[in-house]
Amino acid sequence: MMRVLVTHADEPIGRRALKTLYHDERVSAILALGHGPPPRAFDKFVAGADARVQYARVDLAKHRPVSDFFHSSRFRAAEIDTVVHIPRHGATAAESDPPIVAGLPERTAETRLLMQHCLEAESVRNLVALGSAFVYKLPPGNVNRLDEDSELDLDPDVPGDVRSWIDCDMILHGEVHNDRLRVVLLRVPTVVASGGYLYFHPTLSGPGGGHVRSMGFDPICALVSDKDVARAIQSAIFSRGPGIYNIAGRESVPLSVLARWVGRRTFAVPGPLLSIAATGTRLLGREASTALRGRHLRYGFTLDTRRAERDLDFRPSDHIGLARAGDGALRLETISTA
Amino acid sequence: MSTESRDLARVAEVLVEAGEALALGRDPFEEPIGEDPLAQRLDALERLDRRFRAAPRRPEPLRPVASAESGSSLRRAPARRQRTQVPALAEIELPKPSGLLDHLLPDESRRVLMALSHMVEGEGPYDRFGFSPDVTKAAFPFFQALYRAWFRVKSHGHANIPGSGPAVLVSNHAGLLPFDAAMSIVDIALHTDPPRLARAVVDRWAGTLPWVNVFYARVGQVIGTRENFADLLDEGQIVLVYPEGIEGVRKTIAQRYRLQHFRVGFVEHALRAGSPIVPMAVLGSDDQMPVLYDVKPLARQLGLPVAPITPTFPWLGPLGLLPYPVSYRIVYGEPLRFHERFGPEGADDARLVRYLANQVRRAVQLLIDRNR
Repeated sequence: MMRVLVTHADEPIGRRALKTLYHDERVSAILALGHGPPPRAFDKFVAGADARVQYARVDLAKHRPVSDFFHSSRFRAAEIDTVVHIPRHGATAAESDPPIVAGLPERTAETRLLMQHCLEAESVRNLVALGSAFVYKLPPGNVNRLDEDSELDLDPDVPGDVRSWIDCDMILHGEVHNDRLRVVLLRVPTVVASGGYLYFHPTLSGPGGGHVRSMGFDPICALVSDKDVARAIQSAIFSRGPGIYNIAGRESVPLSVLARWVGRRTFAVPGPLLSIAATGTRLLGREASTALRGRHLRYGFTLDTRRAERDLDFRPSDHIGLARAGDGALRLETISTA
Repeated sequence: MSTESRDLARVAEVLVEAGEALALGRDPFEEPIGEDPLAQRLDALERLDRRFRAAPRRPEPLRPVASAESGSSLRRAPARRQRTQVPALAEIELPKPSGLLDHLLPDESRRVLMALSHMVEGEGPYDRFGFSPDVTKAAFPFFQALYRAWFRVKSHGHANIPGSGPAVLVSNHAGLLPFDAAMSIVDIALHTDPPRLARAVVDRWAGTLPWVNVFYARVGQVIGTRENFADLLDEGQIVLVYPEGIEGVRKTIAQRYRLQHFRVGFVEHALRAGSPIVPMAVLGSDDQMPVLYDVKPLARQLGLPVAPITPTFPWLGPLGLLPYPVSYRIVYGEPLRFHERFGPEGADDARLVRYLANQVRRAVQLLIDRNR
């Protein structure tokens, strides 16, 4: 029986992961951490004195609150053996300069502190973390196949948001061969959810409205549903070895199609004008310059998931496509085929 | 000298006496590679075989079952992918023609396109390399018109193209614009049953070109990265490579039909994937747009792979880049099954890989010389 801690459980992917783990009989207790108050959806999970789920508000980016939490009697009593870290994607993942905490972007600071405390905590044996597949260096081309051994984008000019994902990836990668702590890193591409919600895409996620794309380029975007991500986390928790795994769904679509599916408007701008567009966007009060500079505007990728199939026995079970929603509008939906 | 090397030397002498080797003129592939690694390998295999036959058979030692703790998961080979099934042409039931495209294409081509549309798994409109059957269908009438009317392609040796499983097709490359690749792809699709879509490996530079990169991907072409190549072969597809690369495109009229330096990555991938290498020659592409001179400094300044001067370019502007209506001939050679002899571990031997690449180059050059 596993006793699991889930970070950012109040955010959409965290909620989905928590729900999946809650219904897994092999998980005896779940400690959920979040920034804000517990979501209403957790009411039934946390109700009662013998509830399997407990919720706590902790600012994971700050040293003192994290340290206090990991040394608290509550954490010790919970005897957590597995930590599921879902880095913050937030509502403004596309912002050019992620919030800086002690000189580090918030996402990086969180991952670093969490790793440090997982290594120190005696009861913790497993760390399953979600990473982004946008850490890979994209070679030119509309679509490129990438496996776990593909090169990471260590270009110093990489946009800040992508850089923070790379930093998180390297922090976790550095401990993959740790003898005491089993580290599993799941690299996911653009995550979508029923209703047309979209996370982790450097350009399209974040606030709605218009988004630019490079004229003459329509890169293929690999997709995965939030439910499949939750299943992958579940598989990783109960797998035996450490490792880095690409997780992706069956579908991959061009950026323009994805934007249409999630109801985002995109404008094709000639490449040389993109920097001008970035300045203009900034003048309009939108921090979109990150989304204007990345290679992902021109080059796409799909992920080779054979390693996850073999080691984690993970296979995507959701189809992603357009379906008519309750209000009659066509929206992106994920349909389970399991 | 080993028996095998003596035999090879004898075969060469016989060929010279018969005057066949003279057809090549000066052998352009002579490279100081030291002792022949192929002969060395053959000798080693022969010795191993003799020893194995002489030794009494012992039961194989039991191997420990691999577990997750026994080693890093990063080192293990990935699982084989389930291959997509393209139906045979006879299995395709054609619906009534609807729309202009259906009327433009003969039934035979529509059947081929319908069969190829099965390459896309699931319900999505694209495969994982961005191939779109709809875009291919829209583009096919144009390329088929080029195939039949403009280049008047004739081809033979289709029996050498494997009907199923992975294969690496290695061809010569010329003619500034890659019409040779387009004609080869159309030819392979029209002359295989079930039809096979050759996935041509294109230069990374093409991936940076607006619109071109999208079009290439939608009609099934891929950028030449290690992962793309390995994944295609693993899925049992035909990969069409031009190991001369950009050097083939920029060769001048004086070098026409002479192969340039070959890159070797395709041999490595073929050995690892256990796929045969099929040499093929495209005759006509060297004449479609003969390069008189390549202004390399200008190309460097403009960031282009080549700045050609041809009889019509730049004098006629962009129109000068239109290929001349030369007649194409495509010839497929006997498959070279290096993987059966050397196995995937042969890919780790750099000298052997270089040697095999030169053998492929020689085979392609022979095809060119014999069919010109």
